[in-house]
Amino acid sequence: MSSYGSRSALAVVGAVLRDYLVLAMIAALAAITAMVEPKFMSAANMVNIMRQFGPLIMVSLGMTFVIIGGFIDLSVAGTINLVAVVTISLIQPMGQVPALVTGLAIGAACGALNSAVILSSGALTQAEALFLTFGMSTVYSAFALLYSHGSTMHFWDIKTSKSIFESIGGGTVGPLSVSFAIFLVVLALLWVFQSKTKEGREICLTGGNKTAAALAGVRIKRAIVVIYTIGGFMAAVGAIVLFSRITTAAPVIGAGYETNAILAVVVGGTTLKGGKGSVLRTVMGVLLVILMSNCLNLLGVSTYLQVAVKGAILVFAIWLDNRKQA
Amino acid sequence: MNRTGTGFSLYRMVTKQKAFIFIVVMLVGMLFAGTEFYTAYNLLDMLNSTSILLILSFGVTMTIISGGCDLSIGGILVVSGILAIKLQAVMPMGLAILFAIAFGVAVGFVNGFLVVHQRTEPFIITLGMGLLLTGVAQQLTNAHPVPATNPEFMMIGNGSVLGVPNLVIIMALCFAASFWLMRYTQFGRNLYAIGGDYDVARYSGINVVRTKWLAFVISGGAAGLAGVLLSSKLNTGSAIYGELTALVVNCGVVVGGTSFAGGIGGIPQSALGLLVFGMLDNVMNMLRITSYYQILLKGAVIVAIIWLDCFAQKRRREFV
Amino acid sequence: MEAAGSDVILSIKEVSKSFPGVKALEKVSLDVQRGTVHGIVGENGAGKSTLMKILSGVYQKDAGTIVFDGQAVEHTTPHQSMQSGLAIIYQELNLVNTMSVGENVFLGRFKEMKGMRGTHAKARELLDSIGCKVSTYRLVSALSVSEKQMVEIAKALSFQSKLIIMDEPSSSLTAEEMCELVKIINQLRERGISIIYISHKLDEIFDFCDIVTVMRDGHVIDTKAKSEFTRNELITKMVGRAIENEYPPRPQKVGGVLMEVRSINTHKLHDISFKLHKGEILGLVGLVGAGRTEIVRAIFGADRVRGHEVLIDGAQVSVRSPRNAKNAGIGFIPEDRKLQGLVLPFSVESNISMASIDRFTKFGFIRDSLEKGIGERQVKALAVKTPSVKVPVGNLSGGNQQKCIVGRWLEIAPRIFIMDEPTKGIDVGAKYEIYMLMRLIAEDGGAIILISSELPEVLNMSNRVLTVFEGRITGEFNPESTPVNDIMTAALGLSGGCE
Repeated sequence: MSSYGSRSALAVVGAVLRDYLVLAMIAALAAITAMVEPKFMSAANMVNIMRQFGPLIMVSLGMTFVIIGGFIDLSVAGTINLVAVVTISLIQPMGQVPALVTGLAIGAACGALNSAVILSSGALTQAEALFLTFGMSTVYSAFALLYSHGSTMHFWDIKTSKSIFESIGGGTVGPLSVSFAIFLVVLALLWVFQSKTKEGREICLTGGNKTAAALAGVRIKRAIVVIYTIGGFMAAVGAIVLFSRITTAAPVIGAGYETNAILAVVVGGTTLKGGKGSVLRTVMGVLLVILMSNCLNLLGVSTYLQVAVKGAILVFAIWLDNRKQA
Repeated sequence: MNRTGTGFSLYRMVTKQKAFIFIVVMLVGMLFAGTEFYTAYNLLDMLNSTSILLILSFGVTMTIISGGCDLSIGGILVVSGILAIKLQAVMPMGLAILFAIAFGVAVGFVNGFLVVHQRTEPFIITLGMGLLLTGVAQQLTNAHPVPATNPEFMMIGNGSVLGVPNLVIIMALCFAASFWLMRYTQFGRNLYAIGGDYDVARYSGINVVRTKWLAFVISGGAAGLAGVLLSSKLNTGSAIYGELTALVVNCGVVVGGTSFAGGIGGIPQSALGLLVFGMLDNVMNMLRITSYYQILLKGAVIVAIIWLDCFAQKRRREFV
Repeated sequence: MEAAGSDVILSIKEVSKSFPGVKALEKVSLDVQRGTVHGIVGENGAGKSTLMKILSGVYQKDAGTIVFDGQAVEHTTPHQSMQSGLAIIYQELNLVNTMSVGENVFLGRFKEMKGMRGTHAKARELLDSIGCKVSTYRLVSALSVSEKQMVEIAKALSFQSKLIIMDEPSSSLTAEEMCELVKIINQLRERGISIIYISHKLDEIFDFCDIVTVMRDGHVIDTKAKSEFTRNELITKMVGRAIENEYPPRPQKVGGVLMEVRSINTHKLHDISFKLHKGEILGLVGLVGAGRTEIVRAIFGADRVRGHEVLIDGAQVSVRSPRNAKNAGIGFIPEDRKLQGLVLPFSVESNISMASIDRFTKFGFIRDSLEKGIGERQVKALAVKTPSVKVPVGNLSGGNQQKCIVGRWLEIAPRIFIMDEPTKGIDVGAKYEIYMLMRLIAEDGGAIILISSELPEVLNMSNRVLTVFEGRITGEFNPESTPVNDIMTAALGLSGGCE
């Protein structure tokens, strides 16, 4: 959605570079990795990359909506924790499908609760939402801990059928993995929603200028409820894909997802200031983040240093985003 | 009696300070709880535990009053704590400690650059910085806590002088210094002006960039100091204390009456706000509340505090 | 002819200033004599504010020289100019609301004043010298506009200012407070301090200014002693053309009651009730802060106000939110187009279509072609100057931006149009276009509630005028037949001059 307008050639080059700087950096990293470590280009590695897509992309897609709407959601970690432990524990007593539905419902409920807290307090800025949702994350995580008594549940503890989850975790449908297929469907739905529907447009307007939007008759309160509910729902989807894949659900399973999701969204080019952005950009952002992790792994960089690198990229990306908007 | 809003007034504290109300509620509640809360030992211990958070809050208060905030303090805390211990292997203790604190100052400098010079949104960027540092901390320790081996070092955080714990003394000194800075120096008054109205402050000839930048540097330095003290107290340098700390300290400052909007609040108010959290921890332990419920309660309190702060501002805002 | 150097405190020679696309000042020259009150009159856009901002260091001039107190000056910051003895008191007031009066007077000079005690003591002295009784410990946020102005004057005095510029100080003052200000101005003059008084209110100029400069369209038209001007001469020179061509004739077909408002009560407004007729332009006249914007926001549902009734065509409608009001057929052009009206990074098209989303969606899905149609239709109808409907609306000039907002509402053709300062910051040509538009809306059977701080505009465009003072409606007038003074008296709350 950016237009370079009528600027000098140098300015345009500068703008393009800024828009795609992170992309360029990671492309460079990929190139270097390919040269240093030939395993990078192997089919097994590609599959590996595709597999990592699932949980993070779901959460990031949800986060995209919140950020486009001009807010932020730090509660996804807690939501993931809660949904994971509750859903997995319900498979046996309730059956797979009810458990699945319940899990998704809990995610949506957490999101809706977030929006209720934000709306009732009158919080209108991203900063306030940041603190409120972080607090909610702690609350949700606490519930997860209390519900599960701190213990981890495994698939092999479940005696009834868990085939749905197993196929989400590792199955294939045609040439694609199930989780990838789900991702494609979800992406299509969300993209249409964001760019082609009235509700999506109202969300963009809310993020662009709340006051102006409200005075033009846009339903900003409804938009806020929608973005957080989607955020919570997608966090739930991410949680389900996650524990399906690793076949266990610990009450701390969601740790770190909020920052990775924000990183993916910002790196993908959606501005933190709100109003503009796209789920497609987020997909690219997630790809870049995963690619980066993959490269760093192959190059032998320790996991902890990777966290530091991600933090550095986040700081850099935010700084860059700020300069773009100025 | 119309006292200035940037001073310290008992009247104003009682009517507006949510901190005061929270504390009174807890104090009164504990009267009936039949625990060892009201013993000199416990009260001193409570103050001792909160000292490190208090030191953090003094620096953070300066950034919030000037219109920003600092969520990187958790990351600074852990890295400087680890540095203080690890560096003792290659240099004398005093130098290692200085280095650790200098690290905090350096990070504060970078924060100041990003927020003030580059005009980036402080909440997000300092959060990112904190994450970066947490990763660095984990890298430095390989996720295993690093034990301290120097008994002298351990004495800093655990010793006491005439019955008063070292930490409390250091905290009191920091309190006095910060209080003096904010109330009696040009620098402090300028911070209030910048937070109150950035442009007016600029037009009045105040060097807004340098002043606000300095607030971040001080905040980083305070976090560095706090990190050294924490690792001394616990005898280990560990990466796990980072994330919640930043949120708790910033919220504590807010509950004490310093709003994120900037321009109001102060050191004594923030101290009171942090005492709410310190007391909350102590009360929860005294009441034998299990750790998961403690997390729940803490999260709920954070949400409640920010919610109240927003709600209070809501009436002054437009509906749309 | 210049007087001897020591009598001229400020000499401006051939100062010019341009902004992209606009020539704000063109070879402006004038001299201010020491110890006089020098009035500068001109309409909005004449260049008065730009000139003052150059003097005080907010803007830099492109050409010309400025000599202040015998020295050539190139102020680059407001602080510099304050220190050299040239103070300016803006309409928006340059104070930190969260700090006390005393600290504001000495903002940034805490050390010089030796701390709090010194600050407050000296501030007390300064305030007393102008007869202001406000406590130096009070927070500025608790002060009235008049009191805040006095704090600014005290601040100017603290710099031993030799020249104080006052930019439109009277827009929010009651008659009583205005008298206080005039007293202070006279006191300052007696102390040898020169004053530049900027206003577009002729009565004030004739009241206490010694010398008057008329500006128009970035030029100085004339500078003479007040006694040498006649009122008509002043007006003609200010406006530069016959007034008849400035505004279209008023709408003639005023019909029956279209809307009735009953009992708006808030902490600021008291029992506001009035009627609006078909084909009518109703003007709300009053001081800044009197409550005009609050009234229209209550009607539009933009503020959390309950308990009032709005009836359209005799039936009560719900206006609990802007959406409700929009559905009831009310449109709203807000005061600040950049902050409240537009999403600057979004396209012209999106900004125009914002209020008509329902019209270009079918079954919840957006039809790009329909949206584009809306954008192009309004751009054409209102002659909005833009390369295309896809460019960010932030690229457009103020007038064209305003047209986009008007177009947004025209698209859904509300019957009642609320316009809050619709021509603020817009060039004369675009203004006339908007006036014509307003007339057309009225002639089509709609009705307009007009708020404007430009008295000529409100009086010439409106069929009927309500004066608002301190949250109450104090009068209802026909501007065609009522003398301006009567209307202004009702708007200012008290009659007549000062002792």
